[in-house]
This record gives sequence, C-alpha cells and structure tokens, in this order.
Amino acid sequence: MSLIIRNLSARVKDGAQILNGINLEIPKGEVHAVMGPNGSGKSTLSKVLCGHPDYEVISGSAELDGQDLFAMTVDERSRAGLFLAFQYPVEVPGVTNANFMRAALQARLPKGEELDAVNFYKTMRSKMATLGMDTKFTARAVNEGFSGGEKKRNDILQMMMLEPSYAILDETDSGLDVDALRIVSDGVNAMRAPYRSFLVITHYKRLLDYIKPDVVHVLYKGQIVRTAGYELVEHIEQNGFDFLKSEE
Amino acid sequence: MDFPQNMSMEEAFALAEAEAKLNQALSESKSRFENAVLPNRLNEDWRFGRPHKYAAALAEQLLSDTPSQGEAEVEHAGEAAVPVNADDEDLRQTEMLMPTIGSDALLGMHLERFGNGYALYIEEDTNEPIVIRYKTNSLYTPSTYIMVAPGVKAHIIEQHYGSEKGTIFATRNIQVAEGAELKVELTPYGCARSMVITNIQNMGGKVAHYSHYFACDWAREETLAEIYTPGSDIQLFSANHLDHHQVIDQHTRQIHHVGNATSNLLYKNVVDDSATAIFAGNIYVAPGAHHTDAYQSNRNMLLSEKATVHSLPGLEILADKVRCSHGSASAPMDEEQLFYLLSRGIPRADALNLVAYGFLQDVVDKFNRS
Amino acid sequence: MDESPFQIDTRGEFSFPENHKFDAGFGLTEATIDYICDAKGEPDWVRQFRKDALRKFNEMPMPTHWAPEGINDLDFDKIRYYLSHGTMPYKDWEDVPDDVKRTFERLGVPEQERAFLAGVDAQYDSETAYNNMREELSKQGVIFVNSTEGLKEYEHIFRPWFGKVIPVSDNKFSALNHAAFSGGSFIYVPKGVKVAQPLQAYFRINSESMGQFERTLIIADEGAELMYMEGCTAPKYDSATLHSGVVELVALKGAKIQYVTVQNWATNVYNLVIQRGLAMEDAEIRWIDCNIGSGLTMKYPAVVLQGRRARGEVVSISLAHSGQLQDTGARMIHAAPETTSNIVAKSISIGEGRASYRGEVNVLKGMKGCKNNTECDALLINPVSRTDTYPAITVNGNASAVQHEASVSQVDEEMLFYMQQRGLTRAQAMSLAVNGFINDLVKEFPMEYSVELRRLIDLEMEDSIG
Repeated sequence: MSLIIRNLSARVKDGAQILNGINLEIPKGEVHAVMGPNGSGKSTLSKVLCGHPDYEVISGSAELDGQDLFAMTVDERSRAGLFLAFQYPVEVPGVTNANFMRAALQARLPKGEELDAVNFYKTMRSKMATLGMDTKFTARAVNEGFSGGEKKRNDILQMMMLEPSYAILDETDSGLDVDALRIVSDGVNAMRAPYRSFLVITHYKRLLDYIKPDVVHVLYKGQIVRTAGYELVEHIEQNGFDFLKSEE
Repeated sequence: MDFPQNMSMEEAFALAEAEAKLNQALSESKSRFENAVLPNRLNEDWRFGRPHKYAAALAEQLLSDTPSQGEAEVEHAGEAAVPVNADDEDLRQTEMLMPTIGSDALLGMHLERFGNGYALYIEEDTNEPIVIRYKTNSLYTPSTYIMVAPGVKAHIIEQHYGSEKGTIFATRNIQVAEGAELKVELTPYGCARSMVITNIQNMGGKVAHYSHYFACDWAREETLAEIYTPGSDIQLFSANHLDHHQVIDQHTRQIHHVGNATSNLLYKNVVDDSATAIFAGNIYVAPGAHHTDAYQSNRNMLLSEKATVHSLPGLEILADKVRCSHGSASAPMDEEQLFYLLSRGIPRADALNLVAYGFLQDVVDKFNRS
Repeated sequence: MDESPFQIDTRGEFSFPENHKFDAGFGLTEATIDYICDAKGEPDWVRQFRKDALRKFNEMPMPTHWAPEGINDLDFDKIRYYLSHGTMPYKDWEDVPDDVKRTFERLGVPEQERAFLAGVDAQYDSETAYNNMREELSKQGVIFVNSTEGLKEYEHIFRPWFGKVIPVSDNKFSALNHAAFSGGSFIYVPKGVKVAQPLQAYFRINSESMGQFERTLIIADEGAELMYMEGCTAPKYDSATLHSGVVELVALKGAKIQYVTVQNWATNVYNLVIQRGLAMEDAEIRWIDCNIGSGLTMKYPAVVLQGRRARGEVVSISLAHSGQLQDTGARMIHAAPETTSNIVAKSISIGEGRASYRGEVNVLKGMKGCKNNTECDALLINPVSRTDTYPAITVNGNASAVQHEASVSQVDEEMLFYMQQRGLTRAQAMSLAVNGFINDLVKEFPMEYSVELRRLIDLEMEDSIG
C-alpha cells in the first residue's frame, strides 16, 4: 500500500506548466521529504494531489492505495485518507473549529450513524492540550484572527483528529518559532506509524531535524532531480541548491 | 398652556418655545403626508427591485377595508410594558414626526391605522430578554415604543409572525438615555410583506440592533439611527438567507448630529435562487460633528445564476477629524474556503451550507459580542 | 467666494475683447440651429439630426439619480450656444489671430508646449482655432481633425459611430449636445497602428455666458493604440458659463485608448460632460481624469464593456475649494463575460469645497467571470469641508465579483507636526501631505500635467492654510 505518482505534469489553469513529469512512490510507514528552491513546484505538487481547482493535470497519474486519485473529488480524496496541512491555512468566518471538525468526522461515518458528541469534545480537548492550544479555540471561527503559528497548529490539530493515512505538510515550519516548531513536530512524530506516511515539504533542514525523513527528494523545475537519504539534507544545508544549476 | 408651579420665566419661555416648535413640526408633518406620493423608481430611496409593484401592493392592502388585525403579546416585561391605544396622542405625535427613507405616503397610511402595539418604559435592567410578539394571518400595523432610562441595561426581542402569509407593517421608535445599553433583535418570519420603519434616537447610550428576516416574500426595512449626544454608540447588524423569489430591501441611515460618537453597520446576505437583495445605506456626519467614527459594510454572497444584488453604500461627511469608511463586496462563495472544507473530507453540499451559514453566523457572533 | 490662486497667478482674471464673426445669440431654438448649420455649412442630415435632438432636449426632464441639487440653478435661456471666428480651422500657426496667440501666452502654456502646438488641435471658443495634423500621423493613416471636418470629410467613418455610444436620448445633456455641438475632435486610428505620441487638444472658453458643446469621437480600429490629452483653463467671468461636451470612444477588438483630461475652468463655469467608451473584445479603455476647476462639475466617465475580456479603468482626482462642487465618478457596465474594471478615485475638499463621488458598477444578467474593484478615498482639509460617496452596485449571478471600498480621512496631525518640527511651514507640510495622498494617481498623468498638478496643489494649500 502506497501513494504512487507517475509521470505527473500539471499547470496553473490557463497558465504556466509547473510540474514536468514527477515520479514518486511513498510506501506506508515512511516519511519522505521534498526540498527545493522557491518556484520549483513544491506547493503546486501538494495542491494538485489534493485537487485544488486552480490547477489542472496535463498528464500522468496518482494512486492512493490502488485508487485513482484524480478520479476523486477533493472531499473524496480526503476521506480516502489524504491530508494536506496548508502553507497558508484559510480563514472561514462564522464556522467554529468544533463544528468544522464535527462535520469532517461525521462525513467519515457510515450513513445513519451519528458522531458521539461527548467523545468528540473529549478527543478534541486532549489533542489540543498536546499541541498547547487553549480549549477556547473550539468555539472560535476556523483560523479567523489566528496568528500564523496558531493557524499552523490548528492544521496539525485537524490532522490528529482526522487520522489520515497520507499527510502532506506544506512548509508547516514557516512562521513557527522554535517552541511551536518542537510542539508541532512532537505531534507529528507521535502520529508516525506503520500504517501512515508523510510527505514533508520544506525549505529548511530545521524541520527535518525534528521530523527525521526516511527518504529525501529534491524538486527542481517541476521534476524530482535527486532522491537519497538524510545525508542529502546535510548537503543542501551546506551548499544550498546551487549544485542544481551547475548540472544544467 | 399650563405652566408647572415654581417655574422661572426662562424655563416657561423655553417650554413655550418647545411647544411652538412641536406644533410647527406637527403641522408640517401633516402636509408631508398630504403631499406624499407612492414610491416609484424616480425616488432615490426606491430605485431598485421593482419598487412600484411592492409598494403599490402594500398600499392597496392598507387602503382596503381589511382591518388591522393581529395578536400582540409581551413576555418578561413586568411593569415596563403598556399596550398602545388609539387615544394616546403623545405616541401618535411621535409617529407623525418619524422620519422615513422615502416612505412618507406609507407612514401616513400606517397613522390612519394607528392604535396597536406596545410601549416599553424600561427603568430596570432586564434579567431575561423582553419578548414582543406580533402575529397576524391578514394585515397588522403595530407600533412599538422603547424608552430605556439612564444607566439601564435591556435586551428586547421583537418577533413578527405572518402565518398564512400575513402582512406586518410595523413602526418602532427607540430612545436610549445616557449610559443605557440596549440590545434589540428583530425577526420577521413568514410574512408575505414585511415592512418595518425604525427610528433609533441615542442620547449617550449604547445600542446594538440586529435584524433577521426569515421566509418573507418581500421585506422593506428602513432604519434611521440618530446620535444626539457625545459618547453614543450604535451598532446595526443584519443577516439574511434569501431564496426563491424573495426580495429584501434594506435602507439605513447613520446620522451623527454631534461628534465624539461611534456607529457601525454590518449587513450580510446570502442570495440564492431568483432572490434579490437591496441595500442602500448612508452615513451622515453633520457640520461640527467632529471626532466621529462611523463604519458601514455590506457583504453579499451570491449562490445562483439568477440571484441579484444591488448595493448602495453612501457617505456624506461635513465634519473634520472623522474616521469613516464603507465597503461593499458582492461575490460568489470564496473558492479557497470551500476548498479548505472539501480538503478535510466534508462533502460538497455540506461544505457549501457550512460556508454560507458561517458567513451569516459571523454577524450573529459580532452582535452577541457587542 | 474665495479666489483660487491660479486665477490670480498665470490664469489671471482677464478677458480679451470679443470679436466673433458668428454669434447665434442667447437661447436655443430651431432658428439657433439653422444659424449654426448655415454658419458651419453642414449637410442636411446634420441639420435634421440637430433639430430632432432639440425636440428631445425640450421634452426630457433634468436628471435625477445622476445629479447634485445645484444643477437646477442652470438657466438654459441665458446661454449663448454658438460663437465662432469662422468656418475654417486655422491650418497654420501664422494664420492664428494675434489675440488668440496672446491668450495662449497669458494662460501660461509653456514654451515647449507652444512649440508642440504644431500637433495640437486647439479650440478657441466654439470652433477649432488651430488644427494642424502632423506629417507623421497622416503617413500612418491616422485622422485627427475637428469634428465638423470629421462629419463632412469622413462621413463614412464618422457617421456609423456618431451618437452610438452616447445616444441622443441618453439624458437631457446629451440631447443638448447633439442639438448644439460644435468643435471637439474626430480621431480615427487604423488597424494595428500604435500612435507613439499623445494627441493633444486645448480648449478655451473666452466669452461671457457662452456655451461650449464640444463633441469628440475617437475610434481605435482593431489592435490600434492611442492616448489623447485634453486640458482646459478659462478666464473668470461674472455670470455662469455652460460647458456640456460629449466624448465618445470606440475601441474595437484588441484596441487601447487612454483619454486624459485636466479640467481647470473658472469657478463660474458649469462643467457637465458626458464621457463614455465602448470596449469590444480584448480592448481596453482608460479614463484618466483630473478636475480642479469649475463651480459645478458633473462628470462620470463610463466604459461599456461590450466584448469578452474587455478592460475598463477610471483614475480620477478631484480638488474642490470653496465655491466648488466636484461631482465626479465613474460607471462600468459589464455587458460581456470575463470583463474586468477598476476605479480609483481620490478627492480633496478644501475650505467649504465639496467633492462627491458618484459611481455605477453593473454586472448584467447572464455574465460570468466579471470583476470590478473600486477604491474611493477622500481627504478633508478644513473643518467645513465636505465629501460624499454615492456608489450604486448591481451584480447578477454567482460568477462575478465586485468590491467597493471607500474611506474619509484628514491629514494626520502627527505627520504635520513632524514636518513642521523639521522647519516646514504648515502650508508646505500640508502640501506635501496632500501630494502624497494623490501621488500614486498623479503618476498616471503625462509629465507636463503632473508637474502642473503639483504646482496647483501648492498654491491651493498656501491659499487655504497661509
């Protein structure tokens, strides 16, 4: 069981092509990191996998545990086990965090089954506690008026609540201070399991010191140009991405 | 004229002058009703949404033999509530002097049917909200008077029920004294025609007003909020979800006669099917009303190809040291918000409902916090 | 009423002796129209056209939604509707009479601009006093003549579009202009031609109670591009003067038109101008508008976005000092899918001046993917200054987005204090602040105008703050 991406090319709707034939396989239980300079297509990859309407797939395929990912709608992909922690989580005025999570969990239950509200709140509160979030946040509108760090934490909370089998973390480290970064990473590490995998997108080594990846990929001009172990992170930290240009 | 005893010459003179002024105003207002014409599109305040059709239908009903019939109930008011009757000359005069936003002719017809409703003289804090309920299955023309004494906190819920497509045309005069705090909720429900003319006079208190029209075919709201004393604060809110062929036509005025006061407005509509939402607001800051803070925001979410929005947010600023702004946005549902919900596995139909609901709930939250 | 400083300065309080070959007298009747037609030697279709328009003008009521109250003070019988030096435009600078040349000089038209007059269509009174097409333009096939010549010499291009963007019965003032028009420019830019230099026209009013009904029609054929600049100043008189022009722009597929106006009439002038452009598929029309003068301005440049992906923009600055009402704004009619428009309006009210924004944005039924963004900012200088904002927005359907934001503010006292502490006078500090307020819009104007604009603001501030 794994997330398999084959020869994926995609572009901004009516715009520039950003992904140029990506091949990637993420087996269950592994943590993969994707690194790359600005504009290499990292965020596009995450959005295309989730089905963001601004992008369109030109060619290639993606399989999630054997299911055709691109044949599914955005919400179906989520319920099939795909999760994206957004680089810029969206504010949804008027909808409380609690109602939002209830709706998302309810959608995962078989028809006719009702979510147990008491258990729900219990779970939510305890997970908030591990992330160091004030329980008052349950009654606040989703991300509205949250600081950058609070939004990121809220996204990780949602991941913990929804327990996906594949989680993509899109620059989750940006906007987090050291303490918050540690708390968020602890949350992610606690979720590592043989039945779950992660795709961690980042610019910096910092996050990967906390969330140690099994495999590291370098994305450049819409293609995976390098795949190696953790040592690649060290190499990039010391030399930057310049080595990519000299190879062109 | 009877002067109270122990009155000084100055006081007597001032009283006489005030009385002369009132008489002058009343005689002027008579001619105002006599000369008033029914709303039409040439009238700036009735420009959009086929006004002649709706105004004419309401006028026809008001001029017909149908009596003004309905039930008026009040709960949790204690001593404060007094039923209004046709003999109450003071209250009738108050209504005669009510400003309208283009509806003098209709107000004149309301006056012809004057004599039902409640006056609330609130002199103690309310523990639980006072509920006023007007119900009809035909035509009802109630009047509500609310006076809140200095320093008193009050919460009032005014409900209009038009069962079997009744019409309720209500007028409301609200006066808030210094240091008082008043929250009012207005919820017309199920009316074929709902018309509400409200005049809020704030003498240094805080007023928060929220309206929510539900399942009304046509609703016309005229809300004039006037600030007469520095330190006053007025917050106006409205949130409505329109579908089918519903039309909502909301007109507001935030009038700052004096400075050092604040007013704020947030009106939001979700417009679905072939519904139409009209908002025309104005902030008027009088000459010399310096240090005024006034805001006005109209937001519309359009959900259907046949939905229509007309938005006319206006400003008239004649003073200095003023902070005023207004905004109007009419757009489909935000794609990013929708995507965020979908990406968490919430089915599309539920996600649409949640975002639309949240869009309006935001107004309720702000009203509750005010 | 306060004197505005620029009237005392280079735009002094003066007038030259009136010496007109043609004068149709006061009021507008069929006889006036016959007089105009005879004087101009116009074809019969124009005579008939004018008379039909006159009938409509007499029948139509004054505008209601699109007008401030002051408009009702206007007395149409006290206006002279046609004054002219003669039927033929002056072809050469040498032929321009000395008194006209002196007017240009006294009005402070800079030396380099006077030299530039070789390419200028300058209007003195009702008739084009000077009109000399440059070699370059005619080589490219560009037609740049006054409108009288346009309708006579180029009827086949002129007539199909004349009165099509702004019909006779659009409103009372368009009917008036259709009946009494004289002067103005006719420009045609052929397919794919991009005119490198801005085309310019100077308008002057120089007669008491004289109406000026300039009529401009600009057609940019497919893929063509041009910029047109128009600036006005006028000597001050005792009784009101009416200026009621009509400007029609037609941007065919992929064409671009920019129309720049700097309006600086004396405060006794009524300036009621109708400007509207029609933008076809992928075309772009920009109105760049600056209103400084006139007692009452009513001007709402419009773009009808008629073709898919057409773009419209209005950039507007207005300055109202005591005795002035600047009632300006913009209209955007989204009549095709995926059309976009943008409105940025900034106004400054000084003394008892009043600046109003009046706008319309309309996304018609069945349109998808339309976008409008409107920003209106008003600056109040004195405690007695006034500003108003009256937008009317209509959106049909769930596939378009319209946004309007407006704010009213004053110059920040802390900022003034800061600048004064550094040695600037209050007027200088205020002038800097006001220039800062409109800085991003001033950049949209051609250089010579933006310099002039800044100078005018300096003078206004010295006058109102001292």
